[in-house]
Amino acid sequence: MRQEKKISPYFIVSVILLVLLAIFFIFPLYWIITGSVKEKSDIIVKAGQSVKWIPTSISWDNYARLFKSSTQFFGAKIPMAIRWLFNSVFISVVAMLLTCVTASLAGYVLAKKRFWGRGVVFSLFVCAMALPKQVILIPLLQQVSNMGFLSSKTPVLSEVLPLFAVICPVVGWPFGVFLMKQFSENIPTSLLEAARIDGAGELTTFINVAFPIIKPGFGALAIFTFINAWNEYPLQLVMLQQDSVKTISLGIASLQSEMSNDYGLIMAGAALAAVPIIIVFLCFQKYFTQGITMGAVKG
Amino acid sequence: MNLKKTLAFALSLSMAVSMAGCGGTGSAPSTAPSTAPDSQPSAPAVSDSGGGATGEQVTIKWWAFPTFGVDSGYEEEVIAAFEKANPDVKVELTTIDFTSGPEQLTSAITAGTAPDILFDAPGRIIEYGNAGNLVALDDMFDSAYLADVTNQGVLEACKGAGGTYYMYPISSSPFYMGLNKEALVSSGAIEFVNLEGDRTWTTEDFQNMCAKLAENGATAVPGIVYCGGQGGDQGTRALVNNLYSSTIVGSDGKWNIDANGVKALQLLADMYSKGHLDAGFSMAAADELQQFQQETAAMTFCWGTSNEVSYATEDFTQEAVPFPSDDGVPELEYLVNGFCVFDNKDAARADAAKRFLKFICDDSEWGPQSVIKTNAFPVRDSFGDLYPGDEHKALLASWTQYYGPYYNTKDGFATMRPLWFNMLQNVFNGNDVQAEADNFNTQANA
Amino acid sequence: MAKGSKRSLVLQRRETGVSYLFLLPALIFFLGFVIYPMLMGIITSFTDASFANQSNGKFIAFDNYIRLFNDPVFKKSAVNTVIIVVAAVPTVTAFSLWVGSAIYKMKAWTRSFFRCVFYLPVVTGSVAVVVVWKWMFDKYNGLFNYVIKAFGGKPLPWTESATMAIWCIIIILFTTSIGQPIVLYVAALGNVDNSLVEAAQVDGATNLQTFWKIKWPSIMPTTLYVVIITTINSFQCFALIQLLTRGGPLYSTSTVMYLLYETAFITSKDFGYADAMGVVLAIVIAIFSAIQFKVMNGGTTE
Repeated sequence: MRQEKKISPYFIVSVILLVLLAIFFIFPLYWIITGSVKEKSDIIVKAGQSVKWIPTSISWDNYARLFKSSTQFFGAKIPMAIRWLFNSVFISVVAMLLTCVTASLAGYVLAKKRFWGRGVVFSLFVCAMALPKQVILIPLLQQVSNMGFLSSKTPVLSEVLPLFAVICPVVGWPFGVFLMKQFSENIPTSLLEAARIDGAGELTTFINVAFPIIKPGFGALAIFTFINAWNEYPLQLVMLQQDSVKTISLGIASLQSEMSNDYGLIMAGAALAAVPIIIVFLCFQKYFTQGITMGAVKG
Repeated sequence: MNLKKTLAFALSLSMAVSMAGCGGTGSAPSTAPSTAPDSQPSAPAVSDSGGGATGEQVTIKWWAFPTFGVDSGYEEEVIAAFEKANPDVKVELTTIDFTSGPEQLTSAITAGTAPDILFDAPGRIIEYGNAGNLVALDDMFDSAYLADVTNQGVLEACKGAGGTYYMYPISSSPFYMGLNKEALVSSGAIEFVNLEGDRTWTTEDFQNMCAKLAENGATAVPGIVYCGGQGGDQGTRALVNNLYSSTIVGSDGKWNIDANGVKALQLLADMYSKGHLDAGFSMAAADELQQFQQETAAMTFCWGTSNEVSYATEDFTQEAVPFPSDDGVPELEYLVNGFCVFDNKDAARADAAKRFLKFICDDSEWGPQSVIKTNAFPVRDSFGDLYPGDEHKALLASWTQYYGPYYNTKDGFATMRPLWFNMLQNVFNGNDVQAEADNFNTQANA
Repeated sequence: MAKGSKRSLVLQRRETGVSYLFLLPALIFFLGFVIYPMLMGIITSFTDASFANQSNGKFIAFDNYIRLFNDPVFKKSAVNTVIIVVAAVPTVTAFSLWVGSAIYKMKAWTRSFFRCVFYLPVVTGSVAVVVVWKWMFDKYNGLFNYVIKAFGGKPLPWTESATMAIWCIIIILFTTSIGQPIVLYVAALGNVDNSLVEAAQVDGATNLQTFWKIKWPSIMPTTLYVVIITTINSFQCFALIQLLTRGGPLYSTSTVMYLLYETAFITSKDFGYADAMGVVLAIVIAIFSAIQFKVMNGGTTE
């Protein structure tokens, strides 16, 4: 890494600006997390009072209120907010797994196989990529309801099936296919030919030869889909109405309007929504930045 | 490693296939016209026990606006009591709010996942009923019941097109204004407010009060005319209609802001430009109530029995007053709380839902308690005075004589509401009041 | 990959079969949950289907589209959408380039610290933080007005004002959009051939000259990619508006996306009309993306 020999004024100014910007960016998060443990008197800023930048004392009262309302879940009684968290995690994890599998298979053949209709399929994927999901909200809502996703009568299924109303469109979104195609271009054709000559089956070839090469893309796609599904607000908003199938984002949004005068509770909810996803991001940060850049720069 | 990958692949494939299978089989929603499933015609006042149970477990979904107060815990209590008495029924509660609840209901009904019971008011319920989404409740309004509900206005509010009953009412109360007494006292504006008798007052008093409040600045703003959404919009309509005794529905039954309405809007616009009132361009009632609770504003135009509970505070005294009018005789809007049952093409669920709402409204123990939890007055005379010795409640009860005509079940009510708050925004933005009123009249009746 | 020329027809046919087997899972989701609803949406947009009349909408040809282009609220929303895109895309691009070039030479840990900080709002999404923004923009007791008052200034109406509200939305959109471009720029700048930079510096080129002459051309593909994702992102801005201003005041923050939602679920509940908005928006975005996609591909294959 090349370092500046002497510190230029430009450098100093930009560092100061960067730090200021960073504070501005991080402030909402800081406010949520500290707000969630503040006493009521510290949170509400009335006219003429000064803002309490730092909590004067720590209280878990807001969380106690957040976890007060409970629900039955597979026979166990759990707080509703935890159920929302579970729903978010379920949607994100299942969407991630399904997307990784479907997109890597599709991306691989689109990059490496010549077959009839390839051009049409690929252009269809690319064209649909830029479309906002909200455009298809109403027909999608009617469709998943006709398919029986939202009103299953089977006890166990009815707990999670509505979540697939969000999962399926997320998995169907073609960005993943596009990304994995970019990565699959890196697979040397000679290796695939060699495997074929050795008599390996298509699936074995994919798993043994192609997969190790597209692995970084896999990681990127996984975390990208996870975060995407987690934050897929419009779809969640329209598809999931019943309290028990809400995601944490929806739950927080409804808390915000339902309990709008209980800031502490809302902050606790917002913290519960933000912190897990931040942890996931920080843990897998490396794959993420790697994958994002590799996928994009290839163009 | 290999095994794991193969497994993942197989899993995803089978999932995808099963998903596709779903599409094939489940896509035939029943198209039976909405009819009321036959349910046992029981006497309303009798509390149901689990007698009618046939052994089959039924789960019903109950969606509730915060009419029992926000997060009061009462819904859970009454569910527990009902489930104990009716072990064959399980009730799932979802609480919704007035800001985003209406659109949630639209999505759910569109998706065929409407709740079984909704606790709401006639405005939306009758809309859903007329659209064919509800179970007719005519069998619950038998002669004994009708004899017990003497307020014809309430009964009328429960009927949809063709006189079908869609809402089962429980309680009723007026909408009025709330004032911050200490702020009025400290700014010297209290002299314009009548806290004696039935507390009626005039438009002039109101103007003077606001001017005084603005002058002495006990709160950041005297009051906020919220117009950012339809939540609680009856408050702003009541304000406009009372100032110069106008009505929102003309004699021909059409939506109409008449000359007096225009005069009232002009007055509000002038008060806004003088700083005697503020306009809440992106606020709904919930935001305004919050500013009232936090003493940013010294008054609220959306005070009522539920909000008195939800936005209670110990920091100042909240006084209830009727809306001011030029002749000192207010015409108040009122709330009718009640339940409806959605037609989910399942007789067992509809039946359980009816049993549940009878339990909430009519059970000898829980019925009166439910009314008290809504903090309003029972629609049934046989419940008697539930608030003996409560002066505040006696005051509210005395306002019944000022109830105006009920228009929330009129055709086009749902269309009118967004037009109303957008019209207010335009008026406060300085647009020509008459032109905006004309525009409203045209569009609301389109 | 023109290596298939020697292959026999049988082999090619086999390959087609295998390819579609591999494509099948993705296609099921894609066709079933993206393309099919899209087609249904297009069909509905030619009917008068509504909330009260869901299943049997009448075919009314282009009436919804004609209504659309005579609807002042739709026009206003379209203008707002354009304002958001036009304001957000250049600022996000320029800012992320600046941040990227300011941090890419830093020590590894400071670099990833800043990258993380700017990425966090993307990760947390709008829903969790919007409550804080709502409070910051609050006209009466909000943080921004608190600071302004502390410095003796006149408080601003922020989201309460028909002229300011959209800029409040753009500010938040900015904070949730800048993360990914920064990551991309840091990587792209790191890949710039250093020997060229050094050569230029030896020749006495200023920092600015080196930037424009050497770095800028080589990060061009990244820039184009950034422009595309930010454009799509800005077109899709919805949660913020739904949670913060609900399109108001005076429809000043209503975008086509929000108006679609409002029409379908809140106001007239005309599904056909709302779907027509969706179709128009989809066409506009598709044209935008197609142009940018062409440009981007042109840029990288040079």
